[in-house]
Amino acid sequence: MEDSQNAAPGSVSANKLGGARKAADPGQNAAKRLQTELMMLMTSPAPGVSAFPSADGNLLSWRATIEGPDDTPYAGLTFKLSFEFPSNYPYAPPTVIYRTPIYHPNVDFSGRICLDILKDKWTAAYNIQTVLLSLQSLLGEPNNSSPLNGEAAELWEKDPALFKSKVMDRHKDLEDD
Amino acid sequence: MPPPNTPEEGVLTADSPSEQSAPSIAYIPTRHRLYPEPPESPPPRAPTAPPAATTESSRATTPNPSRPPSRPNSAGRASPISCSDRSCLPPINYQDLHYESEVDKSLECPICRTPFYLPLTTKPCGHTFCAACLDRALEIQPVCPIDRQPLDATRDLCHTRVLLDQLDRLRVKCPNRGCDHVCSRELLAVHYERYCEYTMVHCPAPECDLRVARVDARAEKGCLHTYTPCQYCDKSVMVANLEEHYDADCGGHTAKCAHCNAIVIRHRMEKHIAKDCLRTVVACKWRPFGCSEWAPREEVEKHEQGHCVYQAIGRLVRDRMDDRMMINELKDRLSNVDERLRKAEKEKRRSHAAPFVPDLDLNDSPRAAPSYNSGAWDSPEDYMLAQFERMESKMEDLRKMIVELDGHHSMRLLNDTMRLNEQIAELNSKVGVLGMHTTWLMNVQRQSRGQQRAGTAGGPPGSGMVGSSSSAGGGGNSAGGRSVADSDRSRYYSANDGGVPLRRNSHDRGENPPRL
Repeated sequence: MEDSQNAAPGSVSANKLGGARKAADPGQNAAKRLQTELMMLMTSPAPGVSAFPSADGNLLSWRATIEGPDDTPYAGLTFKLSFEFPSNYPYAPPTVIYRTPIYHPNVDFSGRICLDILKDKWTAAYNIQTVLLSLQSLLGEPNNSSPLNGEAAELWEKDPALFKSKVMDRHKDLEDD
Repeated sequence: MPPPNTPEEGVLTADSPSEQSAPSIAYIPTRHRLYPEPPESPPPRAPTAPPAATTESSRATTPNPSRPPSRPNSAGRASPISCSDRSCLPPINYQDLHYESEVDKSLECPICRTPFYLPLTTKPCGHTFCAACLDRALEIQPVCPIDRQPLDATRDLCHTRVLLDQLDRLRVKCPNRGCDHVCSRELLAVHYERYCEYTMVHCPAPECDLRVARVDARAEKGCLHTYTPCQYCDKSVMVANLEEHYDADCGGHTAKCAHCNAIVIRHRMEKHIAKDCLRTVVACKWRPFGCSEWAPREEVEKHEQGHCVYQAIGRLVRDRMDDRMMINELKDRLSNVDERLRKAEKEKRRSHAAPFVPDLDLNDSPRAAPSYNSGAWDSPEDYMLAQFERMESKMEDLRKMIVELDGHHSMRLLNDTMRLNEQIAELNSKVGVLGMHTTWLMNVQRQSRGQQRAGTAGGPPGSGMVGSSSSAGGGGNSAGGRSVADSDRSRYYSANDGGVPLRRNSHDRGENPPRL
């Protein structure tokens, strides 16, 4: 045991030379973790959210959907998102973007999301499912103190009916993939 | 992927951890930091002490200013610089292992989502992670990845013994391709490093730096890392990878079988023709027994099954040959057994010769020793054994003798005592007779005294008759005679004059000798 530990770093180069053994490329561990997550999502899906790697076979790029929770202005709507994972995932957060146009205090018009866990509050223990569930709950409880969309933040408090109509105006189902 | 000691690592920042080499490899030395010196007892050196410098020099040739200050504890790391020792092996990537047993979800690291390898538990919040995963996460942000509790890598981590034991017991498959070995995770490293035939070890050729599976790393096979042109395509391929090349990326790796037109991998063609191809013309398997059939394999198979007339005779001959072989084998075994039996008998005879030497004196060892030295015994053990047997037979003789003596003694004793008993009985009876005589005599004397007294006052008429009757019955029935005499006497006394004779009687009795 000890020996193999000692031997570890030096044999990295030897590993490359070995021919039969392929050296681990960066992102291999991310891919492995993503595979495990895919398995988890398939075997125990959470209600209202789903995710799957994009069709091009690149495991570092995913497509996800969130259903708007009941009792929120987004009830009955479905939102599509894209996940782009860095090669050092899960140590760095994925880049998550709303592909479906959405009217929300913490999402700007190009779909970028202002959510702390996707920025500085990210930790390696988060995964796709927890991110999706966080985004789903953000739909019902926006953080109006740091809005990306100031108008939406204001309307959320003052005129829920108008907010709801703006949401419906902005929403447009995507047809592609 | 850069090796850990390349300058890339020197410019590593917390924002670009991807520059790090694969964690599974680069982080395994972490164990040396976290395990041999548990975090409970912080290293007894200041963060700026020389060991920290050692870390820097060992991990990177350029100084690493961006490393967080919480990392001086990595001083304990073994030097991860290139391994010049040719016996070192590629490390096991524990995150890639295939687990045979079902792994409980609670044994999975929340970061890598595989069963913990070298788990560490945070002290403030009790969350557990692989050492490597946590190490890397803490490098980015020194907080618990689950609840963002601030963590100090030197103080706030500990390992959980029960968890380690649980993980050690998990059944894993050997990570080497081609090896099907399954063992507990604890023993995997030993199997991988010492025994697995598929572990990539250094090439036996001294000038070659490459690796080859242990099973191929034999001096007589030479270096398998020379290039050889593939016999089917234009590529030149390393000998070690030839099989792989044939199976996968050989340009002309498949060919049509000339007989059946099936597409077959080229270097398996011979086997295909010899065993599988249905169109290859082959001979009937009963050919040695006279069948002359030659046909494509599928027809021959049918022919062999049903139509071949030589099948019966062939089977018979084959059975007979089998029998003959068995007979020969049994014969061999029988002769072996005979041989052994003869040897054993010879030995037995030799060992039995000694006890019959009339050597009855137990202390006479000088006489026994020469028989050993003269070579009559194969070994001291045999000699001792023979001696032992002799002793035993002597003991047996002695025992018999003792038993005999015992019998004699008891017989004699019995005879003597019988005689004595008889004598005692005789004496007894004599004493009895004597006693009777005495009684009789006394009676006679008393009567005569009574007569003398009665002679003065007129003696009783029947007294003489009483005395004669008692003397007639004497000896045989002395007690009866006595009782009769007594009753007569009392009758006589009571019948005769009242007070005076009674008094006299008691006086007489006092004078009487004790009865028998």
